Amino acid sequence: MRILLVQPAPFEERRLGLENTVWRSEPVSLTSIAAMVPEHEVRILDMRCEKPSVLPEVLSGWQPDIVGTTAMTTDAYQAQAVLRLAKQIVPGALTLIGGHHCTLNTASYYVDWVDAAVLGEGELVFKEIVERWGRERSTRALEGLQGTDVRLPDGTRSKNGKAKNAPNLDHLPAPARHLVDRYRSQYFFLAAKPMASIFTSRGCSFDCNFCAIWEFYDRRTRFLSAEVIADRMAACEEPFIFLLDDNFMTRADRLEKLASELERRNIKKFFMTQGRSDFIAEHPELIARLAKVGLMGVLSGYETNDEKALEGLRKRNTLDNNIKAAKILKDNGVISTGIFMVRPEFDREDFAGLFEYIESLGVAIPLVTILTPLPGTEMWKKYREDLLTEDFRLFDLLHAVTPTKLPREEFYKEYVAWKRVGRTSMKAWFNRKTMLKRWDFYLRAAPNFPEMIWKRVRYQRIQFVPQSYLRDEAGIIRSNHSPRRPVDEVSLASK
Amino acid sequence: MQASEFLKDLRREIEHHPAVNHVFLMRVGTTPFTREDYRVFGLNHYPLVGTFCRYMEHLLLNAPDSDSKSWIAKVLVDEYGEGSDGEDHAQLYRKFLTACGVGPGEEDEEPLDPRVVEFIREHLRLVTEEPFLVGLGALGPGHEWAIPKMFVPIIDGLRRAGFDEREILYFTLHTLQDQDHGRWLEEALSIVVRTPEDAAQVRRGALLSMQARMRFWDGVQARVVRWRQPVHMWDIPERVRLWAARHQPTIAQVAPSLGVKLAAYRPQVRKYAGLEA
Repeated sequence: MRILLVQPAPFEERRLGLENTVWRSEPVSLTSIAAMVPEHEVRILDMRCEKPSVLPEVLSGWQPDIVGTTAMTTDAYQAQAVLRLAKQIVPGALTLIGGHHCTLNTASYYVDWVDAAVLGEGELVFKEIVERWGRERSTRALEGLQGTDVRLPDGTRSKNGKAKNAPNLDHLPAPARHLVDRYRSQYFFLAAKPMASIFTSRGCSFDCNFCAIWEFYDRRTRFLSAEVIADRMAACEEPFIFLLDDNFMTRADRLEKLASELERRNIKKFFMTQGRSDFIAEHPELIARLAKVGLMGVLSGYETNDEKALEGLRKRNTLDNNIKAAKILKDNGVISTGIFMVRPEFDREDFAGLFEYIESLGVAIPLVTILTPLPGTEMWKKYREDLLTEDFRLFDLLHAVTPTKLPREEFYKEYVAWKRVGRTSMKAWFNRKTMLKRWDFYLRAAPNFPEMIWKRVRYQRIQFVPQSYLRDEAGIIRSNHSPRRPVDEVSLASK
Repeated sequence: MQASEFLKDLRREIEHHPAVNHVFLMRVGTTPFTREDYRVFGLNHYPLVGTFCRYMEHLLLNAPDSDSKSWIAKVLVDEYGEGSDGEDHAQLYRKFLTACGVGPGEEDEEPLDPRVVEFIREHLRLVTEEPFLVGLGALGPGHEWAIPKMFVPIIDGLRRAGFDEREILYFTLHTLQDQDHGRWLEEALSIVVRTPEDAAQVRRGALLSMQARMRFWDGVQARVVRWRQPVHMWDIPERVRLWAARHQPTIAQVAPSLGVKLAAYRPQVRKYAGLEA
């Protein structure tokens, strides 16, 4: 059988969005499910790296039997467009959608051109879908299959709940990375390019109310063994690897084992990942050890400068940990990318307070987002009626989708002032002393600096202009008032 | 030479062409674009609507025999307003533009994406400089087979944005009317395509039209996406590009060089727009 898996493209380059300058990773969700059906002919199209005409050409010329795609919230419509096109060109093909957005907001895919949604972890369900479709070319064949929501031939639905998670990640095959070989040179994290992407665990044991990871994975974390992680890292040809874990930094014992394994096998890779500041603060020696075996960057959600707000977000962390973590990372030359959130209820003093805090913290690269009730999160359930729009294009953490206390023009004017904070933080962090600690990394990434800087300069001219945000909202957000209560009462970080 | 086989294959080729299945059309069909977005879309699409009759009139003049002329004339009569209560297609489209918030006369003054002008220029070339069958391929299969399929997702998007049926009549009418036109033209083509050389000419015209259409949708998509993005004052290259874009010719400026008589439909449009009693 011919199976086409498609990573949707963003609308067009040079719109607001991290993919322009910060981060574009391999479509690991697609390579992971592709690995489950090696007996079939599978192709992956990463539309972020292709011309738009390629998709209809491949659909028409290759005539796949199954077309699958995946979507986070901001890709929701793009993924639909992929499947609509597939249904138009190859009406007999089975069209599938998977990923976070469809799992947590399945109803948005109840349309004629989506045959089935895969809910939850996809590997095992996908394999079963392919087998059943091979036997009978009707969605009737998928009826009752756990982990799917299927549109039956008579238009009714067979809703079968979320998939069971694979009990042991080591037993799943390694993602079929060879299927994205031709895009390798286009995946990056800042100047780290070409960059491979792998995962070493799935899920998160915390339950922050603005995040849906724990709901997706039922608040459980599963891990690959150190041996398997080392195998997969060794198999990457790229010098840089992004470990895509939702929260890499849990369980010190596993990370010790991983460090030992990397040392024992002399695997030399620069790797970046995501982790919580409390873990970093509590394990300075482990961070130093990981830095020695290649840890080069950590993205952490520092979120806010306000203990009460941290509590309101159910972050279960402290400002003190943030300060310690930033220092530990800097001492080891590990680039700390700190994610902070402004909240729609911010006034001028709140903005100033947050920016002052960011400057004092000493992270290398601060990224300031806007707190957004993403579909599937507790926050979404709580504030859905206050939303000013349900147009998912604006759920990119860069637009306020609930009422702002300041008039929106002023809100965005204050928001884009984080440019200054970003600049001073970077200037303070990237000095000779810190960079010399990891000179080998900078030497390796140096050829990519001009491209990164050029992209950054061009993007900043959109990113730090309030009109970018206002014009994105034009016609989509027509009022700054909650449909149900005064703006003062819509406080997203309230307990 | 089996004309019916050739036409079947050509129809399939058109219906699977990336221009007919342009990702922008699918996005229109699945994304909640707003009236503001459709305003930009409409202003760039409108010149094609206003100039289509001109292509047909040229083709009519080039038609080698009265059979072919009568097929083309049939389509032209519809385009002039038969079947839509006497309102020609430019007038129908003006209703849509008004619903998008386009003021009287604005449609003539909009600087066009170069790919829009290129589309018009290419089609005028096809119907005037190329052999009759190439022009027929461009306007027949290249338009009448393509448009009903392209308009389906557009209509879905327009309905989602809240336009009422009266406002989008231009689009709904074309999904029905162009199916008729497509059938008429298919009959005409089955008569005039007698040799493989004839078939090759028709196919060439159709594919050239499709290529121009592909670039046209690229241009419209760029306009629809980018109108929301302001440019920083120090982004000199982008400002130059935008300055150039603002100085792209409008349809009013470009029409004379294309031999398109804008005045022929403008009075009716102005009447609809309320400029004339």
